[in-house]
Amino acid sequence: MKRAIKKVAVLGSGVMGSAIAAHFANVGCKVLLLDIVPDEAKESTKKQERNAIVNGHLKASIKSKPAPLYSSKFASRIETGNFTDDMSKIAKYDWIIEVVIERLDIKKIIFEQVEKFRTPGTLITSNTSGIPIHLMLDGRSDDFKAHFCGTHFFNPPRYLKLFEIIPTPETKPEVVAFLMDYGKKILGKTTVLCKDTPAFIANRIGVFAIMALFHSVKELGLTVDEVDKLTGPVLGRPKSATFRTADVVGLDTLVLVANGLKDNTPNDEANALFTLPDYVGKMIDNKWLGSKTKQGFYKKVKDENGKSQILSLNLDTLEYEPKKRVKFPTLEMTKPITDLSKRMGILFGGKDKAGEFYRSVFGSLFAYVTNRIPEISDEVYRMDDALRAGFGWQQGPFEAWDAIGLDKALKVMEAAGKKPAAWIYEMKEAGFDSFYKVENGKRLYYDIPTKSYLEIPGQEKTLSLALLRDEHTLWKNNDCSIIDLGDGVINLEFHSKMNTIGGEVIAGINKAIDMAEADYSALVISNEGENFSAGANVGMIFMMAVEQEYDELDFAIRSFQNTVMRIRYSSIPVIVAPHGMALGGGCEISMHADKVIAHAETYIGLVEFGVGLIPGGGGSKEFALRLSDELHDGDIRTNQFRNRFLTVGQAKVATSAYEGFELGYLRPGIDEVIVSRDFHLAYAKQSALLMAEKGYTQPSQRTDIKVMGQEAMGLVYSGANSMMSGNYMSKHDEVISIKLGSVLAGGDLSEITEVSEQYLLDLERKAFLELCTERKTLERIQSIVTKGKILRN
Amino acid sequence: MDAYIVAAKRSAVGKSGKGMFRFTRPDDMAAQVIKGLLKEVPNLDVTRIDDVIVGNATPEAEQGLNIGRMISLLALDTDKVPGVTVNRYCSSGIQTIAMGAQQIHAGMADCIIAGGVETMSPIPFGGWRLTPNAKISKENPEWYWGMGLTAEAVAHQFKITREAQDEFAYHSQRKALEAVESGRFKSGIIPIDVEQVYLDEAGKRQVRNYIADTDEGVRKGTTVEGLSRLRPVFDAKGTVTAGNASQTSDGAAFVILMSEKMLKETGATPIAKLASYGVVGVEPRIMGIGPVDAIPKAAKMAGLKVDDIELFELNEAFASQSLAVLQETGINPDIVNVNGGAIALGHPLGCTGAKLTVQIIEEMKIRQQKYGMVTMCVGTGQGAAGVIEML
Repeated sequence: MKRAIKKVAVLGSGVMGSAIAAHFANVGCKVLLLDIVPDEAKESTKKQERNAIVNGHLKASIKSKPAPLYSSKFASRIETGNFTDDMSKIAKYDWIIEVVIERLDIKKIIFEQVEKFRTPGTLITSNTSGIPIHLMLDGRSDDFKAHFCGTHFFNPPRYLKLFEIIPTPETKPEVVAFLMDYGKKILGKTTVLCKDTPAFIANRIGVFAIMALFHSVKELGLTVDEVDKLTGPVLGRPKSATFRTADVVGLDTLVLVANGLKDNTPNDEANALFTLPDYVGKMIDNKWLGSKTKQGFYKKVKDENGKSQILSLNLDTLEYEPKKRVKFPTLEMTKPITDLSKRMGILFGGKDKAGEFYRSVFGSLFAYVTNRIPEISDEVYRMDDALRAGFGWQQGPFEAWDAIGLDKALKVMEAAGKKPAAWIYEMKEAGFDSFYKVENGKRLYYDIPTKSYLEIPGQEKTLSLALLRDEHTLWKNNDCSIIDLGDGVINLEFHSKMNTIGGEVIAGINKAIDMAEADYSALVISNEGENFSAGANVGMIFMMAVEQEYDELDFAIRSFQNTVMRIRYSSIPVIVAPHGMALGGGCEISMHADKVIAHAETYIGLVEFGVGLIPGGGGSKEFALRLSDELHDGDIRTNQFRNRFLTVGQAKVATSAYEGFELGYLRPGIDEVIVSRDFHLAYAKQSALLMAEKGYTQPSQRTDIKVMGQEAMGLVYSGANSMMSGNYMSKHDEVISIKLGSVLAGGDLSEITEVSEQYLLDLERKAFLELCTERKTLERIQSIVTKGKILRN
Repeated sequence: MDAYIVAAKRSAVGKSGKGMFRFTRPDDMAAQVIKGLLKEVPNLDVTRIDDVIVGNATPEAEQGLNIGRMISLLALDTDKVPGVTVNRYCSSGIQTIAMGAQQIHAGMADCIIAGGVETMSPIPFGGWRLTPNAKISKENPEWYWGMGLTAEAVAHQFKITREAQDEFAYHSQRKALEAVESGRFKSGIIPIDVEQVYLDEAGKRQVRNYIADTDEGVRKGTTVEGLSRLRPVFDAKGTVTAGNASQTSDGAAFVILMSEKMLKETGATPIAKLASYGVVGVEPRIMGIGPVDAIPKAAKMAGLKVDDIELFELNEAFASQSLAVLQETGINPDIVNVNGGAIALGHPLGCTGAKLTVQIIEEMKIRQQKYGMVTMCVGTGQGAAGVIEML
């Protein structure tokens, strides 16, 4: 029988418990969150007092940043209670998740209580980062054991993609399969099946990598600044790289895991590495634990002028010193190369200290991961999945090795005496020189026992542009490509810098619509960059405005407007599937889709105000149109007007796709949210196909948009003046506000009037161009282009 | 013909939003106050009342549909007495008393109920559908400024510091706390019955009844230090905070005015009369200084010098404007707001004029004084003042 999860009970409301509860609420579950009754309320009969701990934890969690909930409204899906009064309720819950303190004895006490009330057949999991799962089975019933599994969410669970699943020998295969699928599809995670080994996969390898660096940094004579520069974005890893990550995680937490590994992996050939280097011990003694104690490897101080400055720790003297500019010839060489795999080859072969560093670090890492098979995983891809999802690496160790080249790395490792496992040589002898390959849009991995390539499971229902790009690209220019998704659906992907929208992207969208109208059923606009789009290419706008080429600028804006209008008004359905940031022009493109399929983590917004402009690519028009559509007879329309006005006027960006609906960027009943990024493209394609198959006709342009004219303008002028007079915005903000207001109001018409989309597009373009002649607007654009900073002038 | 105040009563003042009157509609509250007021004049035949004049600063929504008439119907149990609603924002409650007195002076009436009511709980400041004139907004935007901005402009122009405002606010709280705790207002307050219908934890309908009879705005434990930590709310770089501005409130207050003829008919005892009432216009941008011109105007009309006034109720819309008024008029601060003001006790806009009238009458009774003045600044650049003469 199919297992359905409607109600989830989370036992333990600490940082992880509350955040896990929030994420289940995010995906629509009804959640029961329990914790202990505070000592002082043991005798109390008041619910409020008895639930003080759980309520306090949940409240703090909901308020924390980044927010654990997609929308604060989802908090109502979480009910709170305590172990004493409410444990019996778990009888009606489909999945019980234990997240109490990391102590086996306490977990066991909780499990005993769970046994009393749990309905046989329901799921029971324990979330832990370090306690061996099999130790938890002691004294449990057979039904409990069969439905029991370890899990490991990474903190914060909403944002970190990794979900490790650790069955015991007694866990039913159906339960494991269910969790793997649920984690991926419903919770939107990368689910990785782990063995019950110390720290599972991601932390075993990740902490090894950090500890190896901790030990080698002094041997190689490198500084904290240098290592972070070398191990950050250049390797496709987070900006926080190594030491800054340690500061964020907390050195004490890291040390706890490292000590655990040292004690529990006596046979690990690298066990010695888990012993802390001297300077880490001293840092712990000094309580230099990182962000939580305000200093770690880095320390933020204020100089005499009150300016913040970041100092970094000199590991020899243990003194904080000003950060130094890091320069290595090898890094300079890779600067123009955007493809990480190509970069890896150059980095590994570098002739300077940086190259030496990479050869040492990767040599150790590669040797280590080969020796962890089959100890912690039987397959290479599970390790890569875990590191990518858990540590934010763009490439896991085996993928990095593929990028460098099997032989090239092997030679370096042998020369340095680093011993990979025997199966590497067997693989090489059998004639294989890569861990992965792509065939027919599917990814295959090298399977060690069978010495052959096998398809990575779980790809039956997913689509990935990365895997289709080589064989199915139909057309491309510098900034975008059209890729055939099959079944008559094509996809336009941007690949410009930060996926900004300039002339080539505009050309690409038009080309894709032309092609789809001629030969295909539907078009999807999506990409697999870090963000969907950072917006229009403001650098280009800046150049034209500075040169006072207003005719060209007018032409460019008009062309952008015409293009977004074609997205809505073409003979084929167009689905836009944004993820990450979808700002400015990226938002406008989304707002003109027939349907948006937004990833839950979509940060959408019209942010033009920040650069001294108003949305000029149909965004202002669309807000006026939606305002008109959302008004009902008797509504206080000026208030609705104000809400729409403020959303753009304050450049509000949604912190999730659900908030995108609340802010009016997405349309209820039309646009949709999907939590799983893995299924995102496949679902967008399916949606496009369904619309085509239902029978799609090109909609007619709207001519019935009710604008308020002077009635709204009174509010705009007085509101903007009050904000300016109260020092909440600058004089120039007032100027921009009035421009925005007059577009949304449809100008100074005497009465409510029905206007066309083109009327509004002309108004917004005119206002946009007028702002481009303002010196202060140009200063704002210049600031964002040259410094990446919002200027408030 | 003179007009005599024979009874003056008010409700306690509740905090808006989460206060004790959030379940009470303004018409119901006003009717309860008037019913209590009528008990003071047992011989009055209600059908002899000529009009009910109700001040209200936001006459819409719950306060719309000519709430004055609704109140007369609800309070008097007769359909023979009419009702009218009057709006001059914050002086509405004394404006109505002046209008009632004027009718009696002119021989057009013998008995009037006048006062004001405001519940700010259900209605946003400025009303539900703010629709300023686009032309004015463009050319004279400060005419539409929120009151907070005008308070900042006053602070700036009259050099009223943040420290002075917080100090003033602290003393308002201190005096009000003492007055509330010692029951000094009790004699002027009509207790109001409140009924709340709600769903309990189990979702079951429940009814709760309570009596509201004590002003709830005072913040015990207020310190200058605490006030100094609050952030400005109207101007990011300003000095006006939630702590040194008046509170939004719910309340109702009314008086009964009679001609001499009516006094004889009912045998009622006159308590006081409104000796004068004057209003002035000032720059809307610095609305808060309205009393500076209104105070001498009203004193002069009553044939008095400002120095003759023994007690003042100066509505504390904001500490900044109260201090500017004291500074510019030179009146002795010791006889102003002796029981605290709107910063501590609340400011139910359209009710305030009548509420302060009730308060000053009760206080002058205790102090056995003759001349008192109620004064306030009024939105969009106005000031109002009335002299109360005790009999």
